[in-house]
Amino acid sequence: MSRLILKDLVKKFDNVAAVNHVSLEVEEGEFVTLLGPSGCGKTTTLRTIAGFYQPDEGEIYFNDRLMNNIPPAKRNTSMCFQSYALFPHMNVWDNIAFGLKMRKISQPEQKKRVAQALEMMSLSGMEKRMPGQLSGGQQQRVALARAIVTQPDILLFDEPLSNLDAKLRVQVRVEIKEMQKRLGITSIYVTHDQDEALAISDRIVVMNQGQIEQVGDPQSIYLHPMTSFVAGFIGLANILSGQVVARKENQVQLELPFGRFWAFAGGLRASVGDTVRFSFRPENVVQYREGSPNKVSATIQHAIFMGDTIDLFLDAKGTRLRARAESAAKLKPGDIAVFSIDETAFQFLE
Amino acid sequence: MERKNVSSIDYLLLIPGVGFILLFIGSSIFITITQSFGVLSVTGKSQFTIENWKAIFHDKESLDSILFSLKIGLLSSVGTLLFAFPVALFLRKGGSGKRFLASLIKIPLFIPALVAAFLIINLISYHGIVNEALLALGIIKKPLRMLNDKFGWGVVAIQVWKNLPFVLLILSSSLASIRDDTIDAARNLGAGTFSVLFRIYVPLAMPGILVSMILMFIKAFGDFAIMSVAGPTYPPSIALRMRNTATLFQEWDKAAVLGVIIILTTLFITWLYSRLAEFVTGRK
Repeated sequence: MSRLILKDLVKKFDNVAAVNHVSLEVEEGEFVTLLGPSGCGKTTTLRTIAGFYQPDEGEIYFNDRLMNNIPPAKRNTSMCFQSYALFPHMNVWDNIAFGLKMRKISQPEQKKRVAQALEMMSLSGMEKRMPGQLSGGQQQRVALARAIVTQPDILLFDEPLSNLDAKLRVQVRVEIKEMQKRLGITSIYVTHDQDEALAISDRIVVMNQGQIEQVGDPQSIYLHPMTSFVAGFIGLANILSGQVVARKENQVQLELPFGRFWAFAGGLRASVGDTVRFSFRPENVVQYREGSPNKVSATIQHAIFMGDTIDLFLDAKGTRLRARAESAAKLKPGDIAVFSIDETAFQFLE
Repeated sequence: MERKNVSSIDYLLLIPGVGFILLFIGSSIFITITQSFGVLSVTGKSQFTIENWKAIFHDKESLDSILFSLKIGLLSSVGTLLFAFPVALFLRKGGSGKRFLASLIKIPLFIPALVAAFLIINLISYHGIVNEALLALGIIKKPLRMLNDKFGWGVVAIQVWKNLPFVLLILSSSLASIRDDTIDAARNLGAGTFSVLFRIYVPLAMPGILVSMILMFIKAFGDFAIMSVAGPTYPPSIALRMRNTATLFQEWDKAAVLGVIIILTTLFITWLYSRLAEFVTGRK
């Protein structure tokens, strides 16, 4: 088990920085997810931690130990690959025992630990099978068993679930989380799937264009995005800008093309006359009831029935908005309906 | 694995290829075998006899040429592998100059064996470039005998040079099918360079290694052209000996015995290399 510290990490390919001054501290036993679109530098960061890439600038520490020049084989990390990367010429047992053999662990100890790992991943009885004879889910579990059996300081996950079907993905991610909590191994998990990140992480690091946009626990990332990128990437968001026209106590009034709205200011420093960017979620735009704040009248362009809710695409005097309605609501395209935006829903962006 | 339905019409498609092999190659192998026992003989009377086999096994020159060809076959196949595998590994990893190196190394493919032999002769003959250079540098006092040497190093050198690109092509495609993730996983789990090589690259490339070793052995063992130019004066290679027996001495049935020995040896070496491959990869 280790703390992981990245200090001002830079990794360039052909003079383009894939990772651009990334600093991060991960506590012992913490589960941190690097989340971002493809090309955001999350996998490069992960592979630099594993030692497959040498950083061009900055430092990597495991606890107090500088790791920059330590080869991957000596870092005591375990990586779970998107492709599982099982050794196709070895059976399940030999795949799992590989890391132990490399560490010259005694035979009896190897047997004990591999058997434990098999048991833990419910793979007992499959030790003689070849990887090609296993289903995707089973291969994934072999890969996990192989990763934990060496008792690594840090577990690294490179989109390990993206080759599984949707149901299995949800099931395995719960298994990964439980296993990680039980073993208490510091884990770095890379994914582009926001649901996965929200479900599995202690903390999420949102990355974009090689840089960290925001770090926080899943709730704060979702509820309080700080940049338009984070607001737009995680969940759905209406991202708009408008002028502050009034201020009272901890609220501001915003001027938008489709009306004036009161919003809780939070830590917003803007004064009257400033233009600010902000976001609010579709689920905060709901059908108007007597006494609700911030009335908006809008035309429904599309109404998509999702089962638990209805997803609405609105046109409010030329501004497109996303909204939600209860599944029993009778709304159809072309209708004009009245909505309300919660004052607490406004998140002011940098 | 899903099994595809094969209709009887599909088997008709095999006729041009398999039919040819069965009809011509199969029948000539059959005749070679019967001839070695005196049946269907083109020279003398046709009757079953094991005299031809006895004669070959009592003939020192024939035995020497069998052993000599066997040695050249084994050394050439192992030698080519030892030279080609590191190059194939390098080409897999890439790096600058990869394309240039890859094309440079294919040059011998376009040169016929006999021409290749003469090219190498210029290098390694008694007053060839290598000897003259070594003399000029003062490394040796007397030219080395590398061509038509008794051991056959000259032949091995030419075989290796000539067949390197061929073996390289086979090995490269074998190595290319190994995923980078697999290598990374091994390194991540604590494998150093040596372990990655012998526990990952070699076992995974084993089908290619095996095929190239067997093909190289067959080429070098039965070779005629390079042996006749660069081989020692004695013993002749088995192919040379066979030609002499058939055309010089007009003993076709004894030549057939040598032919059968070539086929059997090739089969045996194929079997041996396969067992060796299983042993190395630890797989059955």
